[in-house]
Amino acid sequence: MSALLSRDEFRTALENAIKGKSANKSPFSLAWAGGTLTREQLARWAENHYHYVGPFADYLGYVYARMPAQHVEAKDFLLANMYEEEIGGDRHTDLLIRFAEACGTTRERVIDEENMSPTTRALQAWCYAVAMREDPVVAVAGLVVGLESQVPSIYRKQTPTLREKYGFTDEEVEFFDLHIVSDEIHGERGYQIVLELANTPELQQRCLKICEVGAQMRLLYTTALYNDYVAVPSEQEEAVAA
Amino acid sequence: MPRVVFHKNGQTFEDEVKDKTNLVVRAGIKQFPFPHLKYQCGMGKCATCACEVLAGAEQLPPPNWKEKKQLGDRLDAGWRLACQLWLEHDIELRQDDAAAPA
Repeated sequence: MSALLSRDEFRTALENAIKGKSANKSPFSLAWAGGTLTREQLARWAENHYHYVGPFADYLGYVYARMPAQHVEAKDFLLANMYEEEIGGDRHTDLLIRFAEACGTTRERVIDEENMSPTTRALQAWCYAVAMREDPVVAVAGLVVGLESQVPSIYRKQTPTLREKYGFTDEEVEFFDLHIVSDEIHGERGYQIVLELANTPELQQRCLKICEVGAQMRLLYTTALYNDYVAVPSEQEEAVAA
Repeated sequence: MPRVVFHKNGQTFEDEVKDKTNLVVRAGIKQFPFPHLKYQCGMGKCATCACEVLAGAEQLPPPNWKEKKQLGDRLDAGWRLACQLWLEHDIELRQDDAAAPA
């Protein structure tokens, strides 16, 4: 059985659990950063991304309900996070839809669940399962530390590219701009909560594992986007494979 | 590391922050200038975090589109949105409750 890690050791272990599987390394993220995606491919990304991040307040709502009442700060953080996603300023999904529309798709297509890939459906289902079934501290580790805290580093790379290489306007890419600030706060507060409340070796190990799995899930999701929408085999290749 | 001097309602608070620090992010994670810096949306929409820059303004990047939209003429009077600034140099700011723009 592992010993209880100090706060610093645990923080480093959490960061390392995420690092190796960062979605920054997925072929879709690399193509995005390289400016080689088409607007159609970015539209497919937006149609999928909506179904992963759209229910984020729902995921957190389940965790909030199951977080013990004595963890007031953790509950307040979850509530504030939900509020900011939905009604604190602009609804975050509305900004995503604005970007999607700039890519040439429509609000109707974005919100239509039929337009997400099976892998996106799997990521969404994993988020719901974690929120509903895991210990609430482990769920915060998976959803906030494992997933949300990655966002600022991803969008810091992707946002300048959207302006400079793809030619989007400031307003069209506001979805990405805002997450650089808000998810930096959410990710760090998530770390603080997990470092504080994962106070047994067993809980710490479960948090580390779920961060690793969360990062894997996001990497799987973005890799599948590449396979489904960028590296689509030609009809001739498909005929040969058949 | 940038040194930040923050004036609030006649009181002065001061600390060093890491390079490329955003003060709203810092306040959001309950570090200096928490709890003194007032902010709300963190996305350049509400101007709650607006501060008057008393020193170091020349080292800041030009105001972005959100600051232009939210602050208008107040930009000329030295106001900036803290949520839109990633600090790389020393800065002195003031955010008095009475003086904050609506």
